[in-house]
Amino acid sequence: MAAFGAALTVVVAGAVAVLVTRWLRLALGPGALTPPEQAPFLGGGSVETHAWSRYHVRYYAMALLFLAFDMEMVFMYPWAVVFVEEGVIALMEMLMFITILVLGILYAWRERALGWA
Amino acid sequence: MGLTSGLARLARRAPVPVFPVVGAGGRRAATVLPTLDGIEVVTTPRAAVVLLVVGRVTRALLAPVLALHDQLPGPRAAVQWRVDGGGDGDGDDLAGVLPGLVAAPPGDGEQLRRLMGELVSGARTSSPPALPPVEPAAWRGVGPYGQGGTGMTGGVPYGRPMPGWADDRDGLKLDQLKLRLGPAFPPFPPGLVLDLEVQGDVLQTAAVGDNPFVSWPGDPPVTVTDSVEFAAARTEAVAVADLELARARHHLVWLAGALRHHGLAARGERVLRLASGLTIGDAAAVQALARSVVRSRSLAWATDGVGVMSGDGLPAGPVARAAGDVRDARVADDAYRDLGFEPVTDAGGDARARLRQRVTEVVQALELAERCGDRRREPGGAVEGPRGTLAAGEGESTPSAALLERLPDLLAGQEWGDAVTTVVSLDLDLEEAALGAGAPVGT
Repeated sequence: MAAFGAALTVVVAGAVAVLVTRWLRLALGPGALTPPEQAPFLGGGSVETHAWSRYHVRYYAMALLFLAFDMEMVFMYPWAVVFVEEGVIALMEMLMFITILVLGILYAWRERALGWA
Repeated sequence: MGLTSGLARLARRAPVPVFPVVGAGGRRAATVLPTLDGIEVVTTPRAAVVLLVVGRVTRALLAPVLALHDQLPGPRAAVQWRVDGGGDGDGDDLAGVLPGLVAAPPGDGEQLRRLMGELVSGARTSSPPALPPVEPAAWRGVGPYGQGGTGMTGGVPYGRPMPGWADDRDGLKLDQLKLRLGPAFPPFPPGLVLDLEVQGDVLQTAAVGDNPFVSWPGDPPVTVTDSVEFAAARTEAVAVADLELARARHHLVWLAGALRHHGLAARGERVLRLASGLTIGDAAAVQALARSVVRSRSLAWATDGVGVMSGDGLPAGPVARAAGDVRDARVADDAYRDLGFEPVTDAGGDARARLRQRVTEVVQALELAERCGDRRREPGGAVEGPRGTLAAGEGESTPSAALLERLPDLLAGQEWGDAVTTVVSLDLDLEEAALGAGAPVGT
């Protein structure tokens, strides 16, 4: 029953938050906008084609590298816990692991994968 | 006290966000805007409360100005600074289309602040939309009644065709977005309209649209109002010192705009203040400024190798001199004889070289102004203006017109940031380019 009460509180609080923001927008915000008022800003110009378009995500390689190192950090947490028990062997293992990853970065760098273009 | 009035009191204390649109004859009057107290020049109408039109709205500018007016979120106000020589009233029917338009003399910051106060306190109502509330292009589905279609392939969403495909420079086939930018895109010179095809941040093609300052039959004629001292020097005697100070001031105003574009707005404002009260005695301050600009790492990083222009066909002027071309009309000018004038040049012809070239020319202009005493330049012959050599006769091609012609080839293939930097570095003036041009096609 207590769990049900907590869920009810969340629902009510959420509903109140939605209603308050809606009321704030009506009380303070501008009224309904005409289509020209919603047009995108292009210095007085306009678009000819629709904006649903696919383009080259240039940070793609950088994003993948970031993910790889993010996962490596996850691996380092359990390693840090057992580091004191294992001693120098743990340090060597981690150094080998990091070295291999750094080689990967250097390779990507040489292949110009880190440049914007 | 209600919530609204409390917020209004807070809003009155904030600087007035102003989005400027420069019309015919308004360029010089608009330069003071960032130095006015309590005024903040914003780069998009979405952040603005006041739409400030400086100068005369030509017929070609009217539709974009109305579109921009509607893009200001309410409460908003529209102000026009009327400029002498801009053909006051003639051919400008902005007041007829925008009922709440407030006319004011140029440079009146106090009035802009008062307007904002009236707007937030409710004493003045927001300027109503200028355009009718219709979709510029209505939704069309695939069905006979405009219905239907699935996802991104269905119909013509909001009347605009889906983008076409084209090869991109990385060997992929990607969509092309077609858009028209300008004539009031803040980093660009006033009046510049570019028709662009972009893939992501790469500009595939660029075409220069109709110049809004080319006068139509029956409209007031165009006059150069930005570098007016140099246009005047063709027909009347002027002091060489005045001419050189005007040159230094012109380049400093350009530098302020370039600094603003490169994210150094506060620095640009200080340069603008220096330019507005520039005298021969400011040589030391100008030299210090030139040194810091040339040495700046961030400016070098942003401009190095961007927009390289060199070779034949460049109009004589700072852009050509930044690529090592020594042509300068002052060499053959009697007024500069035995002043020991020698044109300064730079190498590389990129945006960085043009930046260096212009700050060096500011220093040189102040030196010349100091050395020449009260010597006067007699009318006649070509005048070396701040944008390049102005031919002696009327109706001849101007440096800005020649550079505009080369703009599409220069911009094609550039990334967006570099393209804007390139346009900024050329210091174009559309009014100067409109001199000698005929009426626009299709009027």
